[in-house]
Amino acid sequence: MTDAAAPTASRPRANVVGSDSVIIAAADATAGSRRRRWWTRLRRDRTLLIMTLPALVLLAVFGYAPMLGLVMAFQDYDLYDGFLHSPWVGLANFQQLFTDPEFWHSFWNTLALFSVQLALFFPVPIALAILLDSLLSRRLRGVIQAVVTLPHFFSFVLVVTIFNEVFGGAGLLDTFLRSHGVTSPFDFMTDPGTFKFLVTSQLIWKEGGWSTIVYLAALSAISPALYEAAAVDGAGYWRRLRHITLPGLQGITVLLLILNLGYSLTFGFEQMLIQLPAVGPGTAQVITTFSYKNGIVAGNYSYGAAAGLFLGITSVILILGANKVAHLFGEDGLYRK
Amino acid sequence: MKVVADMSPRMSRRGFLTATAGAASAAAAQPLLAACGGGGGAPAKTGAASTSLLQRILPHYQPSSLVKPDYPSVNGSSPAYLTYPSRLVKTVSEVPGSGGSYTGITPLWGTIPSANNPFDQAVNKALGATVSVSPANGNNYATILPQLFSGNKLPDWIQVPTFWAPPLNFGEAAATRLADLTPYLAGDKVKQYPNLAAIFASGWQAGIWDDKLYGFPSYTAGFNFGYQLYYRADLLDKLGIGTPSVKSMNDLFDLAKEVNDPAAKRWALGDIFGYLYQPFDYPNWMLDDKGHLITQYESPGIIEAMNWMAKAIKAGLVHPDQVAGNYGNGVTEFYSGQMVIVSDGSGAWNAADAQKGQAANKGYKRASFDFFTDSGSGTPRMSLEAATAWTSYLNKRLSPSQIQEILRIGNYLAAPFGSVEYHLLNYGVAGVDYTMTAAGPQLTATGTKYAGSAVSTYNFLVSPNNTVYNAGYPEVTKASAAWGQRNAKYGYQPLFYELNVTVPNSLSNANAFTPFVQAGNNIMYEVARGRATIADYQSTVANWKRNGGNKLKTFYEGVLAQQKKLGSA
Repeated sequence: MTDAAAPTASRPRANVVGSDSVIIAAADATAGSRRRRWWTRLRRDRTLLIMTLPALVLLAVFGYAPMLGLVMAFQDYDLYDGFLHSPWVGLANFQQLFTDPEFWHSFWNTLALFSVQLALFFPVPIALAILLDSLLSRRLRGVIQAVVTLPHFFSFVLVVTIFNEVFGGAGLLDTFLRSHGVTSPFDFMTDPGTFKFLVTSQLIWKEGGWSTIVYLAALSAISPALYEAAAVDGAGYWRRLRHITLPGLQGITVLLLILNLGYSLTFGFEQMLIQLPAVGPGTAQVITTFSYKNGIVAGNYSYGAAAGLFLGITSVILILGANKVAHLFGEDGLYRK
Repeated sequence: MKVVADMSPRMSRRGFLTATAGAASAAAAQPLLAACGGGGGAPAKTGAASTSLLQRILPHYQPSSLVKPDYPSVNGSSPAYLTYPSRLVKTVSEVPGSGGSYTGITPLWGTIPSANNPFDQAVNKALGATVSVSPANGNNYATILPQLFSGNKLPDWIQVPTFWAPPLNFGEAAATRLADLTPYLAGDKVKQYPNLAAIFASGWQAGIWDDKLYGFPSYTAGFNFGYQLYYRADLLDKLGIGTPSVKSMNDLFDLAKEVNDPAAKRWALGDIFGYLYQPFDYPNWMLDDKGHLITQYESPGIIEAMNWMAKAIKAGLVHPDQVAGNYGNGVTEFYSGQMVIVSDGSGAWNAADAQKGQAANKGYKRASFDFFTDSGSGTPRMSLEAATAWTSYLNKRLSPSQIQEILRIGNYLAAPFGSVEYHLLNYGVAGVDYTMTAAGPQLTATGTKYAGSAVSTYNFLVSPNNTVYNAGYPEVTKASAAWGQRNAKYGYQPLFYELNVTVPNSLSNANAFTPFVQAGNNIMYEVARGRATIADYQSTVANWKRNGGNKLKTFYEGVLAQQKKLGSA
């Protein structure tokens, strides 16, 4: 059953690769033929290669080239000397970073906020996608999808403002309560204790609908024949859900989970920066805002870069670790092993 | 109300937006040369210079007075005019430019006007040169400056407010990237440019870095300070309180309690912490009881101020949005009467404010408390800001002939209130940008988008000393000018007044005062909101001192000693 849900489209492709390696093995006689082979493959795939070129250039220019700037994490960077002439300080910035209580505080805040968001947010789009998929009226489905997707296009500034207008101390809810004799109503926007849930609900409102798109695509890839066969065999809704729908979503769910872990340390910069004043750095200071405050705002670029580099390396370790775990459990993860 | 993130805690961006800037009254003599500024010919480059050296560098002040003010300057307060002069004087006889083309960047808090708009065209025609100013968003101006400086992508002319200079390590920036204006303007040389000479020497002092004059001043004012405390006079009248008498922090608390009524969606206070350095009197640097140099963060006053603010927030006297750090709607909330008492810069009190406030609320009337002391006894004190924080600089790559052309253009831009040039720069072209009424020039919809009195572009390159004039709202001018005349006497020059200190690179981190300055992300803010204690605050200060703060203090002690030595020499 589980196997049936695997995307069948990839099968022939795998075969092509397989037969390719046969050709390779056969032609592996001389160096000259190897070069020819390389050339043949280049010619054969040139269209595809040209198509990837813009993406590669984009990645090189905006992804890799700026990484050169990370050397400033090992320097006492001076704006006017640039990183070519700034003095080297070795690991001094990292030493300072790891002994800075504020840094560790923001590190734990990041993990705490992220875990809550992951646990509460992640299942929402899956459930919503299954729900939408089960709607028979295409029109109703379209309308609902449009409504829940729309907030994705709002910036966090707007999202937080809307939340503040409703739940803030001078917002609709509290104004209503005050006019009905509640003297000190609860202010959701400034309570550090419930902040985790506040930011998660903002995320669900903003991204819940948008995130269903990829799951809906996966759902539409499940052959209706499976459902029909199961129904004929007497499987009810819940059994079909458990044995056809969920396994059909398993691959994409694992992939997204891994990618999410990669974002775990960089998530929510905008969302946190806007709401920092409301609940204070004790609750909302995350590594990215810490790096911004100390690097960009204070002009201590080396220190900010050190925090940023730490964040990048930790994220890579998290992604690779999660991918490894996925492979151990026989999942595809980020790529097929 | 809205403190721009990352700004010096004292400097409200509104501080400069005094309706119009113009002719200086000769009465506003500047008593500040005694304080020393600039750079030292002394061994350690600290920024301190002797009085005689400063005299040689600074352009000599040559007052000009085209129109007699209705409210003359008292103790440095800005002169004020109730009516617009009927006859405008031409102060620049020849076309200043010689066809050159220059680029400029200035900050703007508001809608960015389109490039080469009709107002720009009219100004450039009058200048005889093309000065294309690209205004950049003021809210992130501080973060684009380092990129422009480090990448050496500076335009020909750029505005760099002095409160954003520290992260740029500006002494070094000036020496490596900016044109030295000393040979062109020092001493009597400025007299070739009479409008530039009419700017107070204290304004020029803000542009001195390490012994050389680099900067042009804008919006120079003798009586310049960070914040004052405003209230809605019409609301207090309506509540039967009338003109309040606030002589102490207790008076303020009692008044706040009296007007506070959350059920009616009316809170007494905005976040007024920024103002409290006035009653509790803690300037940036001061001497403690034993004569040791301390920063404001080590002062007993700031602790009392935090405690007071915490008490007010706990008592529910502060608007929830301000408690939450949502300052964005602050102005609207003041106009709609949701907040009664707020702190803001002196520039908030003008015609545009009256116009918008009355549009929201017919009887709208802004008024301001006179300075007071925390206990109610003794004479109030207000630590003064430098005469201006708005300084603009020229690119080092410009040739001497280009610099001379720009200086002639600058002379045009600095033309005072009552001149033809000032009129063009602030109100634009008749019929397009403004219409002349009995009450004075009124901006049209086009003018509000582009003209200098609504959108500061050319005014941020260089502009004359501050004057107060509010077209159509003489009552606003009367109230604010009278307030200035009454309160200017309380101003005093704190330590290092008017001194651009160049801090060594190794101390720049401590000098950024990171734990204390970022809006909504600093420890005082946390204490006031009850999320941190005074003990937490003190450990943050101790931490700052350990991480370079003590060295910074030692460095400043050296500057102080040097100042004393040079001053007595």
